[in-house]
Amino acid sequence: MLSLLRILFAGLVSLIIVQFASAEESNSKQVEGLRQHRTRVFAITGLRIIHGSGQVTDQGTLVVRGSKITAMGPDVEPPAGADVIDATGKTAYPGFIDSYAEVTLDAANKRPATAYWNPQIRASFEVTSAIQKTHLAAEELRQQGFVARLIAPKEGVIRGQSALYSLGTDDIHELILKDHVALNGELTIPRRSGDREVYPNSPMGAVALARQSFYDAIWYREAHRAVGIDSSLALPEKNISLEAILPFVSGKHPVMLETSNELFALRANDFAREFKLNLILVGSGNEYRRLEEIQQTGRPLIVPVAFPKAPNVASPESANSVTLESLMHWDHAPSNLVRLEERGVEILLTTHQLNDKKEFLKNLRLAVNRGFSSDAALKALTTTPAKRFQIDDQLGTLEPGKLASFVITDGDLFDGKTKIVETWVQGDRIQHDQDEKVDLRGDWKITISSVSQKNDLSLLINITGKEKLKAKIRPDQTLPKFQDAVELKAISQEDSHLVGQFLGDQFGHRGVVTFSVVLGRESKEWLGTLNWPDGTRSSLAMSANPLGIEQSKEDAEIKKSESTDAKNIVKNEDKAESDEEGKAEQEEKQKTAARSLPASFPVNYPLGAFGRIELPNSAAIVAFKRATIWTSGPMGIIKRGTILVKNGKIVEVGKGIKIPKDAIVIDAAGKHITPGLIDCHSHIASDGGINESAQAVTAEVRIGDFLDCDDIDIYWQLAGGLTSSNILHGSANPIGGQNQVIKMRWGSCYEDLRFKEAPSGIKFALGENVKQSNWGDEHTTRYPQTRMGVEQIMRDELLEAREYSRRKKEYATTQKGLPPRIDLELEAVAEILTGERWIHCHSYRQDEILALIRTLDEFEITIGSFQHILEGYKVADAMAKHGATGSSFSDWWAYKSEVQDAIPYNGAIMHDQGIVVSFNSDDGEIGRRMNQEAAKAVKYGNVSPSEALKFVTLNPAIQLRIDEHVGSLEVGKHADLVVWSGSPLSNFSRCEQTWIDGKKYFDSVEERAERKVILNMRNTLIQKILDSRAPMMNAGDEAHDPTAEWPRHDEFCEAHGHDHHEHGHE
Amino acid sequence: MHQYFYLTAILIAFATLRPSVASDQIPGKLPDSPVAIVGGTIHPVSAPSIENGTLIFDHGIITAVGIDIELPEGAHVVKAKKMHLYPGLFEPYSRIGLVEISAVRATNDYRETGQLNPNVLANVSVNPDSELIPVTRSNGVLLNMTIPTGGLIAGQAAIMQLDGWTNEEMTLKSSAAMIVSINSDKDSQTLHEFLTDVRRYEKSIQANSPPRHDTRLAAMLPVLSGDQPIIVKADRWQEINRAVAFAQNEGLKLIVFGGYDAPKCAPLLKKHDIPVILSSVHRKPLYRHDAYDAAYSLPKQLQDLGIRYCISGYGRSSSYNVRNLPYHAATAVAHGLSMDDALKSITLNTAEILGVDDRIGSLTTGKNATFFISSGTPLETTSQVKQAWIAGRPVDLSDKQKMLYRKYQKKYLKD
Repeated sequence: MLSLLRILFAGLVSLIIVQFASAEESNSKQVEGLRQHRTRVFAITGLRIIHGSGQVTDQGTLVVRGSKITAMGPDVEPPAGADVIDATGKTAYPGFIDSYAEVTLDAANKRPATAYWNPQIRASFEVTSAIQKTHLAAEELRQQGFVARLIAPKEGVIRGQSALYSLGTDDIHELILKDHVALNGELTIPRRSGDREVYPNSPMGAVALARQSFYDAIWYREAHRAVGIDSSLALPEKNISLEAILPFVSGKHPVMLETSNELFALRANDFAREFKLNLILVGSGNEYRRLEEIQQTGRPLIVPVAFPKAPNVASPESANSVTLESLMHWDHAPSNLVRLEERGVEILLTTHQLNDKKEFLKNLRLAVNRGFSSDAALKALTTTPAKRFQIDDQLGTLEPGKLASFVITDGDLFDGKTKIVETWVQGDRIQHDQDEKVDLRGDWKITISSVSQKNDLSLLINITGKEKLKAKIRPDQTLPKFQDAVELKAISQEDSHLVGQFLGDQFGHRGVVTFSVVLGRESKEWLGTLNWPDGTRSSLAMSANPLGIEQSKEDAEIKKSESTDAKNIVKNEDKAESDEEGKAEQEEKQKTAARSLPASFPVNYPLGAFGRIELPNSAAIVAFKRATIWTSGPMGIIKRGTILVKNGKIVEVGKGIKIPKDAIVIDAAGKHITPGLIDCHSHIASDGGINESAQAVTAEVRIGDFLDCDDIDIYWQLAGGLTSSNILHGSANPIGGQNQVIKMRWGSCYEDLRFKEAPSGIKFALGENVKQSNWGDEHTTRYPQTRMGVEQIMRDELLEAREYSRRKKEYATTQKGLPPRIDLELEAVAEILTGERWIHCHSYRQDEILALIRTLDEFEITIGSFQHILEGYKVADAMAKHGATGSSFSDWWAYKSEVQDAIPYNGAIMHDQGIVVSFNSDDGEIGRRMNQEAAKAVKYGNVSPSEALKFVTLNPAIQLRIDEHVGSLEVGKHADLVVWSGSPLSNFSRCEQTWIDGKKYFDSVEERAERKVILNMRNTLIQKILDSRAPMMNAGDEAHDPTAEWPRHDEFCEAHGHDHHEHGHE
Repeated sequence: MHQYFYLTAILIAFATLRPSVASDQIPGKLPDSPVAIVGGTIHPVSAPSIENGTLIFDHGIITAVGIDIELPEGAHVVKAKKMHLYPGLFEPYSRIGLVEISAVRATNDYRETGQLNPNVLANVSVNPDSELIPVTRSNGVLLNMTIPTGGLIAGQAAIMQLDGWTNEEMTLKSSAAMIVSINSDKDSQTLHEFLTDVRRYEKSIQANSPPRHDTRLAAMLPVLSGDQPIIVKADRWQEINRAVAFAQNEGLKLIVFGGYDAPKCAPLLKKHDIPVILSSVHRKPLYRHDAYDAAYSLPKQLQDLGIRYCISGYGRSSSYNVRNLPYHAATAVAHGLSMDDALKSITLNTAEILGVDDRIGSLTTGKNATFFISSGTPLETTSQVKQAWIAGRPVDLSDKQKMLYRKYQKKYLKD
């Protein structure tokens, strides 16, 4: 409502304020007792005014009346009665806006009666309903120059609505600048703390839920609209969460999504595109890693300036485990802002992610030193957020009529020495240096006058230290026997007091002397009291002593002795002492200078070891000659053959092929070439959690929402000749999530990992995992708990999906009744029924295999593939009849009950029965040597070598319905191939080159050179850290990476070879 | 999470337990007469290969290896033309015999409760009828050290021959090594305190004032004397440093298990002659910036650096796929190791490191006749093991998997 009012009356309101500011009422509060009407009219003169619009006024005056600026300019006269503040030499900037902060509000957990079914969707929650003033952390932020801050709720997927607050001292009512600024959220959840029963419990589930809730909001609108037209229809539910989402779905108001890295930012953009949202991204500071794609989103970006500490490289051992990625991130992070500026990204700034908000300006200045223009920095703090949050009628620039919320500095904002002297918020003046203590470091003279002493005693005191003071004291005139200055027993500065104690013995008073001095800011002559050990009291005066304590000593000693030697020694000492502080300052300067150096190496993709500066080139024509070619196609094995590749596709295979002149020729004499290997069951390259395990059916979740193109497993498997992989959801539920077939295009962003021609698929699972046999004693109630139940839930789901499709079709033709709700789960299952989506089903025992075949036969569905299918050999005839394929482990068995009868001959028996068989990895390590797995088909069951190789080439391609494009070396197919040092079925052979789409993605010779480059990069950056004495993390610590917390294997697939958990004594 | 659920999984007690069933293979009987294997290529491992050679054994002991050896009277002759003879492959670290179905708690016997279990002996719980044993040996892995796990001191490992009516028959050497975990400086300290108690215990024995019995302390005496080595899992540089420092400070004989960063610790390991059980070759790089083949090339690196080592497949499979041990060595060959060194790393090196090379590890006169006949090098998956003997007793190379294979082949037989 507030925003509406503001839009309607914006012009009028500002006019009124300018003219009648002194008489305005801005509060409905009932006053008790006497009314207060403080005059708040100020004229700040002599100011250099940075308007924020690009204009600058030197020597200007700024008039503040109440909460507003009423006049400003070089010739403005202070109004009568104004409090005139002389600010000569000072500079005024528009106040800064902290564009993102999140707070935990307990009230957000309270679910209204008509809220969405899932508590992660909290769209109706408004921070304004629960926030307290302390949440603003106003004081801390004002010191950094902030006058306003966006506050968003912290918990949930769709978290609720944020509001913009002024960082003033008034009541919270008067600090709200704008509510309903954005609908806030984050398309993931924190790693679950052990709760497997709560949906969602994976990032994949979080996105699916968010999508569902937005679709539900659209349906909600349509359904209510339909009832409005035809009152005879059934009344749809009342749901305040969905109602709250509506204004944001239309794109009218912004949706603000937090992102934990650059990939999450791109994913948030995918989400926003699906619903045509007006998206504001809350960035991570990692955007430089995928700059091109970030720029292409065209979204405004709220950027944190929290830069990482250097990784610990203090010892050879700790440096050994530091990744190149973390070294490069340390090096690049401060340049993130300039990179974004160069790309023309709309930048807003935030203190979010900064543990110590005092680091904000320091870090921003570092970014400026790295090239981020000061203009852009100022805009990102002022005009850009003001416009983006539609509060530019009040904030952003210094203009009469706007809020008197501005910053006064003692110099250029981006100069390292410049201090923010004052922050004005809505007409309230907050002076920062008042809070600061008087700087006592240096030499002082203390004159003690007392009744008992005949003459005034004069002492010299030298104070050092910043937080903790230290001091030495000595008489002004050297006393006989007096050796050295006496160290004070204690000295401390409390509020406006200096308190100290010293041993009086050398001054002729046995015992401890105490004293205190009252410090004032204005003069440097202070008075105090001193207590002698005998209880007598003297008054004292303390004032600056320009000579210094050691200097006086020196004078005294010169009188005593003319020895030049002594003088020299003393002089050296003197220098050392007074230099200590200068040294610290110097050091700080050097550190800043070192940190301001540009990053040493260009960004590679993905950042760190084995990342690429650019993607591999595609030569127009490539010829591989004189190789033993295992075609996996009708041509079988060709000795001394040639493969000709044109524009990424195979154009010729065979013997005696003429090689065009302009071809790049790979002489593969003595080598073997096979199709790129294909893994039909993998869990790498995803940071979405692999399993959404809380529900028995989670067909709505998609592995494809969380492709992690930065996963080093991609590169490692590429180095083993793998070119395509089926990334599957785990086996936690009978109907799991949607899989994603990828090509191992290392270096690409995730969109380019997708195997575009691959049809969609979905994971099904049977047996122990889905009936929670090995989950633990407490998991005994989720349906199903038996194989009987598994069979039934699948049937039930397919029936429901069939009806769902029918309802949708019916509505599309008749437009009668309530519009059907889009149900993402049933959408996916319905696609199975139409044959657009293929089932890949985890299976072990013959009974469950048969049961699924019968169910699918009933619905006239052909399965895509049985996965694992360890007892497939027992029902190979039934499988063959159904048209099923089998993708098996080569030789895993024994680790749980249902794999007792698993045999390595399984593949051979199924193969002999005419079933298309593949061997898969289900394991990031085995995925690196799938050729060795294929050899097991020869060993166990005597499959011929060329047929055995098909277990990892053509056959998985058939199972994934991509055999038209890959899987064999045949004309017209993608040029995905591997050059081997010997027979692919020999354990002694190595992959030497891996090609995808006719481009070389791995070359073992180039890799050798790359290792040296990496070594050099690591050493350079380690030296850079050591050289600059940058603060380091603790040994063994790594920067927190939320995506690293999610497993990249199927954690419900019990114990198959994952032995890492059994060592030690956890 | 993975850890957590693994643990809960093994904590589940199944009401309906799979009855303890025996494997169907029958342990071999020691031949009455000498046996001569003739015509094959013999790979003694300790010496160059012998083509068309003869190997003779009697009463379980190899009596002759060479060419043109006269056959003893009454010798049973086995023709091995075009075949190859290898010493039994030796897995130095597994749970074979102590686990049947890892997801079923009742079948797990490898982890005693508590932190200090130096007194428990792996060999006494090895189930000779485990189905895993025939499957393992049918690929030429005839020897295995069975290890307990868990806690700071898991117990004593035993070297087992993978055939026999009882585990006593199978045991080649009990108390072969003490399995110790040192995951932090605090662990070192705890172990130090425990060893201090052991020293006091030893002292009072020596002082002829026998203390009251304490099985834990008593079990540590051979460790203290250096007769029994400790095996400590250490992959990272700091972990290896810590283990070596501990062993040196306490004066113990150390074998490092894991050994990923061992090349970086070469001077230290060589100076103290500390051998490494590499586990395993088939593993991913430990650090993102390492070469993709960092683990594949480890054996070659240790070989070149002169560090004593052998290979274990434990990192890939702790029990049911121990049969794949030779393929770890094979991958090391693909990444630089010589074939001969690769074979040694799963036979003789292992025997030497575990102190049983006087009896096993190579085809040498005087050693046990523990070997197999194969169609080719066991390092290649496609090779087939044809026949095997353990300490002279012929091994039934059938196993549950082959039986199921034969059974279901019958289902699909066309009349």
